[in-house]
Amino acid sequence: MGKATALSQPFLAQLNRGPLAYLALALYATVTTVLLLSNPRTSLGTDVVFILFLMTFLLLYRARVAGVYKLVIGLALLLGVIPYLGTQNAFYVELAIQAAIFVTLALGLNVVVGFAGLLDLGYVAFFAVGAYLWGILSTPQIGQISPGASPLDSSLFYLFLAIGLFVGALFGILLGFPVLRLRGDYLAIVTLGLGEVIRVLAVNLDRPINLTNGSQGIKDVARPPLPEPLRALMGGLGDAQIYQVFIYLLALLVLGLTLVVVFRLKNSRIGRAWEAMREDDVAAVAMGVPIVRMKLLAFAVGASFAGAMGVLFAAKQQFINPPTFDLLRSIGILAMVILGGMGSIPGAIFGGALVTLLDLQILPRIAAELSALKRQGVGIPDWFDPAQYQRALFGLLLIIMMIFRPAGILPDERHRDEMREVEVNPEAETQPVPNLK
Amino acid sequence: MAVAALPVSTSRRAIQTTLASVFGPLGQVFVFVIGSAVVLSLVTILVAFVLRGTRTDVDLVQSALVILPQVIIDGLVRGFLFATIALGYTMVYGVLEFINFAHGEIFMVGAFAGAALSSVLASSGALNALPVPVFVVVAVIVGMTVSGLLAVGIERVAYRPLRNAPRLVPLISAIGVSLLLQDAVRLFASVSGLGFNARFQTPNFGPAIRLAEIPVSETRNIPLVLDVRALTFIIAAVLMLIALNYLVNATKLGTAIRAVAQDRPTASLMGINVNQIIALTFLIGGALGGAAGVLFGVRVGTVNPYMGFLPGIKAFTAAVLGGIGNIPGAMVGGIVLGFLEAFVASYLSLLTAGAFSGASYADIVAFAILILILIFRPSGLLGEATSQKV
Amino acid sequence: MALLQADNITKVFGGLMAVNSVSLVVEKGSIVSVIGPNGAGKTTFFNVLTGIYKPDTGTITFDGNSLVGLRPDQITHLGIARTFQNIRLFNNMTALENVMVGMHTRLHAGLWGAIFQLPSVRREEARARQRARELLAFVGLEQRADELAKNLPYGDQRRLEIARALATQPKLILLDEPTAGMNPQETVEATELIRRLRDELGITVVLIEHDMRVVMTISERVTVLDYGSKIAEGKPEEIRSNPRVIEAYLGRGAVVDLSN
Repeated sequence: MGKATALSQPFLAQLNRGPLAYLALALYATVTTVLLLSNPRTSLGTDVVFILFLMTFLLLYRARVAGVYKLVIGLALLLGVIPYLGTQNAFYVELAIQAAIFVTLALGLNVVVGFAGLLDLGYVAFFAVGAYLWGILSTPQIGQISPGASPLDSSLFYLFLAIGLFVGALFGILLGFPVLRLRGDYLAIVTLGLGEVIRVLAVNLDRPINLTNGSQGIKDVARPPLPEPLRALMGGLGDAQIYQVFIYLLALLVLGLTLVVVFRLKNSRIGRAWEAMREDDVAAVAMGVPIVRMKLLAFAVGASFAGAMGVLFAAKQQFINPPTFDLLRSIGILAMVILGGMGSIPGAIFGGALVTLLDLQILPRIAAELSALKRQGVGIPDWFDPAQYQRALFGLLLIIMMIFRPAGILPDERHRDEMREVEVNPEAETQPVPNLK
Repeated sequence: MAVAALPVSTSRRAIQTTLASVFGPLGQVFVFVIGSAVVLSLVTILVAFVLRGTRTDVDLVQSALVILPQVIIDGLVRGFLFATIALGYTMVYGVLEFINFAHGEIFMVGAFAGAALSSVLASSGALNALPVPVFVVVAVIVGMTVSGLLAVGIERVAYRPLRNAPRLVPLISAIGVSLLLQDAVRLFASVSGLGFNARFQTPNFGPAIRLAEIPVSETRNIPLVLDVRALTFIIAAVLMLIALNYLVNATKLGTAIRAVAQDRPTASLMGINVNQIIALTFLIGGALGGAAGVLFGVRVGTVNPYMGFLPGIKAFTAAVLGGIGNIPGAMVGGIVLGFLEAFVASYLSLLTAGAFSGASYADIVAFAILILILIFRPSGLLGEATSQKV
Repeated sequence: MALLQADNITKVFGGLMAVNSVSLVVEKGSIVSVIGPNGAGKTTFFNVLTGIYKPDTGTITFDGNSLVGLRPDQITHLGIARTFQNIRLFNNMTALENVMVGMHTRLHAGLWGAIFQLPSVRREEARARQRARELLAFVGLEQRADELAKNLPYGDQRRLEIARALATQPKLILLDEPTAGMNPQETVEATELIRRLRDELGITVVLIEHDMRVVMTISERVTVLDYGSKIAEGKPEEIRSNPRVIEAYLGRGAVVDLSN
């Protein structure tokens, strides 16, 4: 990606640091923003520009400029340009919302898989728990469980974002407790089983008590009330558009909090204990790290973000049903973590955003262009529809990453420093393999 | 000693040992078949008896008894299905200590190979002209070949480069292979015109065999029937298990496989080509999975690209239940799990007055067993306890 | 006063009696060696002492506490630290971080403290970092603090393991073949370091060692295991002339050292 070229060419390397870098970054951000806003209609060109625009974040991350400068540009794009774009074209904000949701999930799973080295194949279960929590309590579904109870007021949504954190963590502990003594590969299969159990329960718990409304799902999930200041700020626009931006800001908020928490945990006594445990659990326990407790903590922390995002997701979709929370979703999130680099926070962000874009924008766009070509008479067979082959995409990603780059595209800071030295010498192409037990 | 001096006696002894090593494990399987069937039947009838008072519309004990023979046959079929697939997991685990997550998809590919063959035969009009046994044998061989070679290819491309990587790395690669195969077959199904839910056409198997009539009341008899397809499944599975036991316990190749499973570096020092043996293990495991796929397809009549996932996970559960890495264990685990599932699927609805759907909760039972076994007896029913070396 | 007292420890693996009714008393402030031919059960004995294996029979008392049934991390918390025969560092962490992991049980920052970066947590973290540098300096690795453990030379890895063990603030340290694979010069340095653990830090030392020169130079008492059983115990000079010990080692290279 951008990294390889930026480092191998001397001119671009100059652009990467020093005063020129400040100018180049500002220029790049401005040009892509202007291009994007000048023609926000959904089209191939806009799709390409949108991706170029998003690459600003990658450049910001890689560039050697002052942190404050990165923060200012980044926030301007996130809080200014993208919401404004949303008022022009809801599709791109929808993409941004989905990306924020999945980046948060990837960050959460990264705590479990990347920091603590526990391969969890049922992570989406915690997302489901959060979604069903708000889905059941904010709709007439509650009346099915306790007759006479009426749905919760939609303004309680904010409280439930926090409750979602705790309920997610609680389920993390409940599901984690029986399985954490298992060896790594067994743990993976068992968490997969538990994830499926949660989904099967969601399908079947419409009897004997109608808890989940079965495979029909729960509709009309409450959204939080629109805050008046936002409505005033975006006066003249329809509620649907304002909601889109509002949900985007909420998702961004949850993502931001998640980021702060994972970053601080990683660089703490707890993060060190997780890393030690991942490297060598016997040595870790012999050095006084209580590994079962630390594993439970990783499960709980990872699950809590999924729980909170589940609440937000239910409110955003206003409809939830079991197929949303299937194994493929768990593996998709795992693919994000692995693509970015296990244990790497920038990696999880990058992986989450890239896979979401591939899934929702790039592959459908390629499919659309192909069918346009076909209408013009170019011989493209009917079966060839890249947007239909999500599993193949995730599958290939996992295999290729494991064989050629197990440390991921944006590996952990430390490993990256190592690779920099390696890049001086083109002979040595080996990457450190993250030590998973 | 006298034995060494008398060649006739030695060879007779050799035959005896061979027979013992081939049929010993099958005897064990037989014991577990009878045991599971008897124990589960008794438990079910007991529960039905206890719950008798809760229902006025039907007599629970009688209803339970009436379907019991069919449930046992269903249990046998499920049991042998899980057993044949579980062997693939357990053999690979035995030599590599690696969960071949894509094994369920190997099973599915075998089923599709069979479906494709039958569709070609059907369109050429040859299908109905073939005698049933010939068709089954040909289809099984095709399924075994395709799945076996596929398994070897997967090992070569996606697992061998990762053999010395940390444990989870090949597992993740296997998950990738599994997803990729699902979509590759989906693509194949759509290009070839088989369709997502492909029909598995077969010659006419004829009507079910009537074994007996059970008198329920004076006016009504319930026939006890054995579906020919189920019978085919069971016979073919038993034959394959005999062949596998012979191969593993009584041939030189089998000895080499067991040597590699026990201690890979030492086996390699003894002149065994470890890569070749590992490939062979994948070939055998894959072929068994492919055969199971064809037989399953013959029995249920349709196949789809995602059909491998659940049987795959359950067969893994069976392998763990029996003691992973242990070949007789995989067979026994498959049988026990198959019976458990058949009983839960058939009786849960009946005994809870429809409050819980048996078919869905049967899946949960499988996962629950997996978790309980791993926590309380990770070595499985037939495995030996091992401890981690520090 | 006995700091560690193990009585009649037995550990069986399958049919193998790995440790057979072994007793060991370690006086506070002493340096004790456990020797014996390969496979004599020395490392298994260490693993039982540190809680990695549960003994089948026997009692262990350390500093007034019974250790049987405690988890390894609890035993570390009570004040027993160890190193491993085949070095087990956290390879992809820096030397400094390896030492800081060793401090885990002596630090207090919890989940909330770490998330909210409370001032007490920040102070504790800074102190820990400082202390880790001091420990690295003690073993002579102050220049290597920020290198990944896997990139350190062999001898430095052994020292880092000792520094990491010291970070747990032990009263007793168990060293499993601390000089294995070292050249004579490194061995002398390592021996010196072991002596300093006791003399400067006041830590009691138990070591498993094959190099008889090391054993005879620094130990005050020696225990000899063979086939899981204790066959001799005493001062180094007594062990040197014990016929059963010589027999156990007969034919091995070590017998040469013994007769020197």
